[in-house]
Amino acid sequence: MAEAHPVGFRWVMKAKERGAAIIHVDPRFSRTSALADIWVPIRAGSDIAFLGGLVRHLIENDLFFREYVIHYTNASCILSDEYRDPEDNGDGYFSGWNEEKRAYEGNSWLYKGGDLSRPLRDLTLQDPQCVFQKLRRHFSRYTPEIVEKICGISPELFHKVADALVAASGPERTAAICYAVGWTQHSKGVQIIRTAAILQLLLGNIGRPGGGILALRGHASIQGSTDIPTLYDILPGYMPMPRGGKEETLQKYLEAHTTRTGLWSNTPAYFISLMRAYYGKRATAENDFGYDWLPKITADHSFFEYLYDMADGKMEGMFLIGQNSAVGAPNSRLQRKSMAKLKWFVIREMVETEPAKFWRDSAEIERGELKTEEIETEVFFFPAAGHAEKEGAFTNTQRLLQWREKAIDPPGDCRSDAWFIHQLALRLIAKAKASEDAIDEPLRALDWWYPEDEKGEPQMEAVLAEINGWYTNPVAGVGDPGGSDGVVFAIDRDGNAHHGPQVNGFAELKSDGSTACGCWIYSGVFGSNGVNKANSRKSENYLGHGWGFSWPSDRRIIYNRASARPDGTPWSERKKLVWWDSQKWTGIDVPGFVATKAPEYQPDETAEGLDAIPGDAPFILHEDGLAWLYVPKGLQDGPFPTHYEPLESPVRNSLYSRDTNPAVNWFTRGENRFAPPGDARFPFVLTTYRLTEHHTAGGMTRFLSHLSELQPEMFAELSPEVARELKIDNGDYVCVITLRGAIEARALVSRRLRPMKMNGKTVHQVAVPFHFGAAGPLRGNAANNLVAISGEPNVTIMESKALTCNIIPGRLPRGPAFLDWIERHAPQSGQPLNLHPEQPPPGGPTGGRFSRGHAMEGKAE
Amino acid sequence: MIGEGIKSSNQRKHSFVQDHVEVGFFTDPTVCIGCKACEVACKEWNHVPDDGFTWSGNSYDNTGHLGASTWRHVLFLEQDRRKGQQIVGSLGDGEDPFRWVFLSDVCKHCEEAGCLEACPTGAILRTEVGSVLVQNDVCNGCGYCVVSCPFGVIDRRPEPLPDAGGAFKCTFCYDRQKSGLVPACAKVCPTESIVFGRLDDLRARASQRGKQLQESGYSDAQLYDPQETSVRGIHAFFLILGEPEAYGLPPKPQVPTIYLKSAWTSAFATAVVSIIAALLAFAFFS
Amino acid sequence: MTTNSPSEKRLEELREQAWKDGVVAGRGVDVAGGPIPRKPGYYGQPVVKPPVWTWEIPIYFFVGGLSGMSAVIASAAVLFHHVDLARTAMWLAAIGVILSSILLIMDLGRPLLFINMLRVFKHQSAMSMGVWILSTFAVCVVPGLIALELHAHQVLGGTLGQLMRLVAGMLIFGSAFFGTLLATYTGVLIGATAIPAWFLHRLLLPIHFGTAGLGSAAGLLELLGHRLAALNALGYYAAAVESALLIWLSVDKHGMADRAIHEHGSGWVIRIGEILTGPLALVFRLFGQVPLAAISFLIGALVSRFGWIAVGKVSGSDPESVFAAERL
Repeated sequence: MAEAHPVGFRWVMKAKERGAAIIHVDPRFSRTSALADIWVPIRAGSDIAFLGGLVRHLIENDLFFREYVIHYTNASCILSDEYRDPEDNGDGYFSGWNEEKRAYEGNSWLYKGGDLSRPLRDLTLQDPQCVFQKLRRHFSRYTPEIVEKICGISPELFHKVADALVAASGPERTAAICYAVGWTQHSKGVQIIRTAAILQLLLGNIGRPGGGILALRGHASIQGSTDIPTLYDILPGYMPMPRGGKEETLQKYLEAHTTRTGLWSNTPAYFISLMRAYYGKRATAENDFGYDWLPKITADHSFFEYLYDMADGKMEGMFLIGQNSAVGAPNSRLQRKSMAKLKWFVIREMVETEPAKFWRDSAEIERGELKTEEIETEVFFFPAAGHAEKEGAFTNTQRLLQWREKAIDPPGDCRSDAWFIHQLALRLIAKAKASEDAIDEPLRALDWWYPEDEKGEPQMEAVLAEINGWYTNPVAGVGDPGGSDGVVFAIDRDGNAHHGPQVNGFAELKSDGSTACGCWIYSGVFGSNGVNKANSRKSENYLGHGWGFSWPSDRRIIYNRASARPDGTPWSERKKLVWWDSQKWTGIDVPGFVATKAPEYQPDETAEGLDAIPGDAPFILHEDGLAWLYVPKGLQDGPFPTHYEPLESPVRNSLYSRDTNPAVNWFTRGENRFAPPGDARFPFVLTTYRLTEHHTAGGMTRFLSHLSELQPEMFAELSPEVARELKIDNGDYVCVITLRGAIEARALVSRRLRPMKMNGKTVHQVAVPFHFGAAGPLRGNAANNLVAISGEPNVTIMESKALTCNIIPGRLPRGPAFLDWIERHAPQSGQPLNLHPEQPPPGGPTGGRFSRGHAMEGKAE
Repeated sequence: MIGEGIKSSNQRKHSFVQDHVEVGFFTDPTVCIGCKACEVACKEWNHVPDDGFTWSGNSYDNTGHLGASTWRHVLFLEQDRRKGQQIVGSLGDGEDPFRWVFLSDVCKHCEEAGCLEACPTGAILRTEVGSVLVQNDVCNGCGYCVVSCPFGVIDRRPEPLPDAGGAFKCTFCYDRQKSGLVPACAKVCPTESIVFGRLDDLRARASQRGKQLQESGYSDAQLYDPQETSVRGIHAFFLILGEPEAYGLPPKPQVPTIYLKSAWTSAFATAVVSIIAALLAFAFFS
Repeated sequence: MTTNSPSEKRLEELREQAWKDGVVAGRGVDVAGGPIPRKPGYYGQPVVKPPVWTWEIPIYFFVGGLSGMSAVIASAAVLFHHVDLARTAMWLAAIGVILSSILLIMDLGRPLLFINMLRVFKHQSAMSMGVWILSTFAVCVVPGLIALELHAHQVLGGTLGQLMRLVAGMLIFGSAFFGTLLATYTGVLIGATAIPAWFLHRLLLPIHFGTAGLGSAAGLLELLGHRLAALNALGYYAAAVESALLIWLSVDKHGMADRAIHEHGSGWVIRIGEILTGPLALVFRLFGQVPLAAISFLIGALVSRFGWIAVGKVSGSDPESVFAAERL
């Protein structure tokens, strides 16, 4: 965190100043470790074993927050008799695995009776079919000895961490867990985070001040790019994208995604309001609010799938906006080669990054793999404005929307992304309006009303107003933004009244078309008082109310009902957050609960929506209102996290006969091979990381002298033991090689990398930063040349944090000589595409093919 | 303290220049995260050119040392010792201490400054806030200050960098201070490892912090502020872990003017003797 | 903890050697934080800064020393009625002072601002004092030369001529006073700095620079034809002093603090210079080889100046010398 979020880390240091213990778990000793109280070196890819070990420790020694667990989690819920755990099967699978489809199916994971909203519960946690007992059994073999064997963490150190966590949790204290891509970029990334969630729930740390799990995002606004998504499979506010074939009508879609109880019972209101935002007046009850105009997904359209289409020459063109897939995406050799297959390629960037010049200056050009005169791609480079040169909001890792004003006009032809999309849309819509083709109807139907300034920039606050949502009926005779009638930006491009007053939250949204809302979770940011809350800068309390807007509803800590006992009084005075004052919920934060629902409230059989949630169930997004230690539906690879080895690993799985996550998509392809476990040609564990001095693919840092001089060259960190073994001196050039590619780096020999002793076997780890590329004044090889493409089953993220590699001292051959050299050290020709025994052969079902909705429980199929 | 916002002395406006208050920097490596924001902020504000793009292999320090084009320099020390009570790695095979210490180095703005005494043009002077400032429009680049600094801070900027030929070093952001602002490095330091403020306040704070660290197990924490030498103390002082030599800091720095008396005596004596020798030579050997 | 592999054994040997000697020569794994003492200080970075001066400065030391002491010889010559010698000596002094000024201005980072040197008079800055010494010397030497020439050519007669003689005399004695300081202050200049090899020898340096200047002036005057016994005597005197200084320098060791002189090639440059100005010049004179003695002395004086600057660069870049000097 100190490396990638140095300014945010000030708060960690403040906590440390006040006596908090900082524990850092990481394969390497980074600048964060330097300030931590405990550094736990861990073998990359073994996090579930470590966290699972902690879970087992809490359960077996009765150190969990019992009252919290009983009332606020589904620990007491009874499971179906058909449920089978990997402990029952012994081979690492849950019940319901279909080997042919390479997916789990059936209903065996549901609660007994199948109804998630009224589960049977045993509050004594003794029933052998209850979640708690299943949890206990699931992690029973994750002993400190197994943790040492799998992770390389000694039992002594393990207990130090466990003791620290326990001492920092309970009614009087809370502990927080922060993670970043070191947990997400794995073939079981979602499950790693799930284990942390189980841990925090057992400790009673969720929904309480100083607790929780903080996902540190990789960019300043990447939270925003999943909220208002740039992902193919979700709509704004985490509603799933409609599926072709299954959800051809609005009715089918709403049926599939509306729950009877919980917050998602209002899906119709959120969805239809979204459609009204997209299509304006043209979305009516008669045409199903324009449902037919919305694209339906028919396959996995994620980045890696269409990359393969691109590599096969099936893609015509691509817009690459503020992204650098030639350096920042895995298997960058394949990325760059695929770009040559496009017919047209639009790049929007501030500087000429690697994708912009792949066709004339890249490793592939140098090696003769690509020839400039043979590349037919037409490349368009649109210069972009920097973040200080445009207006808009970032949504950061705390779900906080913060507005940014424009400080200065962008130079020359540089324009903001909003300008680009807006101008592109105007032209496309004009073309669509001039055509009579039915396929252009969705474009014609779009309600592109946004007012713009004299430079053609859309007024971003108008966009924010639409995201907040409004009543669709215009109010007669109204004009000014921030008017007391609650209407802002009332007039559209044609000078007509466009909409009515702003709504003040998603509770006001309706499913009859009377409201429109661009993103229901953001609703409330720009309400009827005309104040852009994202732009407020007067912090009123330690939670930061009055500074920015935290979705939902400016709640700073979600599920904060859990900060009070079942009876509504705070767990402790020093950790109080919200509480019941005999009439309503009140407190320091915006309560995450129906304000007037008493703690004793119990719903009757017929209750629906939020009324079906009892007064002591804080987790209102779920149908049962409880936190899920066990996930009955929604995940592709299991209701409990299970330790699997990374796709490339030096060792076999010590716990089960199944090595890797069964539902992973290996994206098998000639250019994307995996080494089998324990492959002697690739004996070292490779992990990737970030430096403070550079940012992601380096487009914003390697072109600036003051940052480039701080870290001017690509390097690889090795332990002294590895250096000694390979006779490498500090500063020597070394080649790092995997089955995907090879790079050259300077060797930085340091004790910050440790050999991991895993049950007698010594495993060495090597770590490389990923910021360098071939463009710009500061050059270096891109670490992503080494990384394979793979798809975690739930979100299709690649595994870049745990790979295997080899180190060869010396410089990397340049030009065509490289191709012979790499064939010698990482042979490809004549080798099967699937070397790993668990990797399916090409052509068969790949597993995890369709990413299911995030945080949404569609009906199991 | 961190997070006090504008109440912190690193953020709030002041009138030290107008009030002739002595200011200083207190740098505490136990909260430094080695982010180098101080290096970058200094360069951005003062338009200091880059200092070369050479990878050193010395941990994460590719800056090297202070000089004409580096006025803030973060040190990275990897040592076989403990930082306080920190637990690093597995304890299974016996004690295996390791620590990574970061420290932001800067011009010391000495109480008795070697560069100031040495400067023959009067370009280097003491400001109202007690800092040592080089007036770049006066400096003619004679280079005498370069060999007179006991800490090796100031240097002459070589061609082809912009403004080459003159001597440059940290200005204590005198221009910012005149407007009531805080030096750029202190302003950006996210963990307040660099603290700017009144010199007497900082000395008290440093002494307290030193005691606090000693009590919480940082057995080798010590204050580096050589008040008992001829430098008579420095206005940018540090709390260090371990001995000064590991940081490239001289344990007993001296301002070179202490050598003047003996050297001039020798020079005058030689001068007189030479004249006498000449006279005698002509007197007796004509 | 260690196994018996050959690389481990080699590492053990290196550790042993390191603990014994305090330093390890040769290639090995340079381990951060490891038990082998790596480069001293902070990654071997200099603690102070080496001088930025280039060739102009050692030549200036030589020329300025010669020039200043030439004026001293001129004043003695005038007193003892050697007018021709005085004239040559004053010419040397004047040419020398002009050359010196040019050299100094050339060495400046911003030569056009040279006049700023006269903004202040600081007694605590040897360079400020030196600038004023040089300036005052120049103001005495050039008019003094003119006055002397005018007197020698008897251009003005009568009272004016007498006045000219008086003025010339005053200026020449003024030149001698400032000239002798010009020759010796340069030793103070580098002796009163933070460079250990310099400040540890701050008593020796003014004596050496001054005497080298005197011997250089005498030698050059001899080479220009003034074969006087007085100059020969001065030649002997200078060579004797230089020989004594050579011995003093060789025995006055301060261990690591001035190892730039005693263990480094730059130290040999100084010693070669001092051999040329000391014993060799002495021997030449004893054998009556006056021109050879003069040449030897002149070359030695120049070489020694280069040596002292080189030693300054080595010592200034050596962190261990700074630490060692503080422990003395």
